[in-house]
Amino acid sequence: MPIWLFPLAAMYLLVSCGEDAGIRSYTAPNHYEGPVVAWKLPEQWGENPGMGGMMAGSFHVQTTDGPRGRIGVMPFRESVEATSIVNMFARELGHADYNNSSLKDLIKPKKLASRTFDLARLEDKTGKENPPRTALLAIYRQDAQTWLFPFIADRDLINEQLDNFYSFLQSTTLRAGKEPVRAIAPSLPSSPPSSTAHQPTWEAPEHWEQKPTTQMRIGNYAVTNDEGESLDFSITSFPGEVGGILANVNRWLGQVGIDKTDESGLSRYLSDRTIDEKPAKLVLAESDEQALYAAILFHEGRSWFLKLMGDVKLARLEKENFIGLIDSFCLGDH
Amino acid sequence: MTGKKKNPTSLSERRKHFAWLIPLADLRLTLTFLSLSMVLVFVATLEQVRIGIRGAQAEFFESIYGIWHYPEQFWGGEFLNPLPIPIPGGYLLGGLLIVNLLAAFITRFQWTGKKMGIQLIHLGIIMLLIGQLATQAMQEESRMQIDKGESKNYLERFHGVELAFIDVTNPDSEQVVALPQQLLEEGGTHYAKDLPFKVRILEFGKNCEFNSLPPAQQPSGPTATVNRGVIESTNLEIRPKDEDFSSEGMNFGYVIFELLDGAESMGKWAAISHPAGNHWWAQINPKMGDLAFQPIRMGGRLWGVTLRPEREYLPYSIELLGIANEFYQGTDIPFNFESEIVLKMEANQSRRALVYMNTPLRHEGKTFYQYQMNKAADYTVFQVVRNPSWLVPYIACILVSIGLLWQFSFHLARFLNKNSGHKQSMA
Repeated sequence: MPIWLFPLAAMYLLVSCGEDAGIRSYTAPNHYEGPVVAWKLPEQWGENPGMGGMMAGSFHVQTTDGPRGRIGVMPFRESVEATSIVNMFARELGHADYNNSSLKDLIKPKKLASRTFDLARLEDKTGKENPPRTALLAIYRQDAQTWLFPFIADRDLINEQLDNFYSFLQSTTLRAGKEPVRAIAPSLPSSPPSSTAHQPTWEAPEHWEQKPTTQMRIGNYAVTNDEGESLDFSITSFPGEVGGILANVNRWLGQVGIDKTDESGLSRYLSDRTIDEKPAKLVLAESDEQALYAAILFHEGRSWFLKLMGDVKLARLEKENFIGLIDSFCLGDH
Repeated sequence: MTGKKKNPTSLSERRKHFAWLIPLADLRLTLTFLSLSMVLVFVATLEQVRIGIRGAQAEFFESIYGIWHYPEQFWGGEFLNPLPIPIPGGYLLGGLLIVNLLAAFITRFQWTGKKMGIQLIHLGIIMLLIGQLATQAMQEESRMQIDKGESKNYLERFHGVELAFIDVTNPDSEQVVALPQQLLEEGGTHYAKDLPFKVRILEFGKNCEFNSLPPAQQPSGPTATVNRGVIESTNLEIRPKDEDFSSEGMNFGYVIFELLDGAESMGKWAAISHPAGNHWWAQINPKMGDLAFQPIRMGGRLWGVTLRPEREYLPYSIELLGIANEFYQGTDIPFNFESEIVLKMEANQSRRALVYMNTPLRHEGKTFYQYQMNKAADYTVFQVVRNPSWLVPYIACILVSIGLLWQFSFHLARFLNKNSGHKQSMA
């Protein structure tokens, strides 16, 4: 080799002597500060895509009729009262609110390996579906944090999948995080609208703060003012009539501190309205401090609720905006 | 018959033996290369304004050639600017100068004590050139940011990202599997024994713009097919962008990838790297906070995936005890930044040190320079340099100095001898 090639070869070696890129695998001290929630899925279960909001995981049971039921994993930032969790589901399934003493009869401890879960089973009392829609709730507490595992399906599917549900619970790794997780309140996961091709649309006022949507809330907004008053606005949808107008209105009246009413007293709060060229009901109820404005629309086997609730003074100021929003609401099916 | 024995190291013998090297040793070539080097420095300095220091370095110095466009602002720029002008790059000129010098060594320089000074000077220059090449090839620059009262045991590269999968299920230690930028650029499907899934790289870019679209709007571009993770839940649209080489440039690297369980797709994810650290995502938008850790659960384990500056873990850690900064009176011009640290080594050994301007900490081949500081937020940033060839320029300078001393001393001694001989003859 001619001598003058040596410096060129040396140059090439120098320029190209960087480390070869390769996958590096190593262990390091764990700096992760969030909660650790991990699981092994039973073979018959599948994961739901597009999971968001408070859910750390969402699954379904794969059957010959397609995916059925809904199993969720929800971490909470603090030790949430069992009554708060159970009542959120109980109300949607037509149950009266549970208190600490009545809850004792409902909750059954279930020991799985070294851990004990609190199980609560609620069946739909509205009698609209057969077999009845059922919520099997598993609650686990550790280090001042709470994990909820709701299994929502018809009663027969839940009974059939009970062993899978237990093995799923047993497989979970649960560790509280050093920083709070985002979930703040539980709610009943609803079935998705039957048609995903047509999505409802609406026009919300610009000053309404859009919040993350959840599986239950397809529209989610917060309204606040400088005086610390606030309103919560949601758009939800459920299959069927979900107990009908009277049951829903009475539940809402209770939430704003107004006594329940009967069929004859409904007219005090209810009026007819047309939304998206379809007959609908407008609910306007105000107590001394709280207000509830809602629109109820039943269409093609589904119920749609557009509900504004919160401080009465601010609600009155936002009433026109609320009416404007429900008038702009379009199911997108035409 | 008697004859004078040939000395194989004599200049005439070497010139005869290496005749083909004579044209390469031409002094006119040396001058040409040095002139071209000046042109290179001039052009790169001009271009530094447009593409930044790092851009000019990559385009003109760390290359065989660079392309320059005559500035539009100069005379005749409107006509000459579109013309691409090739400029010989640093690697080419440096290499040619080394060849030229070596050839001169062999075919022009006399290997005698009288000329040893010249040889040492040129040897020093050759070492400087080679040392610069070695530095460019082997030097690594990283940063280490430490909050007051905390310890750090890893560095982050200034440039270059990695796609890291982190198993945090074990409370004490995390298992990290990292794909470096080079693999992301190459694409393809990757598998590591510690990963429970395969990773198929679909697209990688060094910089992008991003925008969260309203729920009803379908993103276009690289994220159009993404169906898992935070990019999907925030409906984020990514638009690829050229890398910004300027010193203030913020490059948001991105990667689109698919995870495979065997042959079955688990979905497509995307990740973006924040140039100031992925902890910034949560401050930009709480919904994007998961870009620092997108959860993936498999086989009862919780993995998180993130695209982050490439990390290097150290066998030691540095704890920041305190920081101080001083300014020239009445100005915002820094007078002194200093960080008081404890270097925690293996076997419970430790040593305290003060790192301040021009007084770095040196440990295990790495030099920690005081780089940035935020007194309000109580953190310090060290620039960490690893340069295995850092001694070469010092040795080169010593050689050049000895050569100059030798040469001048030799001439001085000869002059003094000659002068004293002349005086004696006069007497």
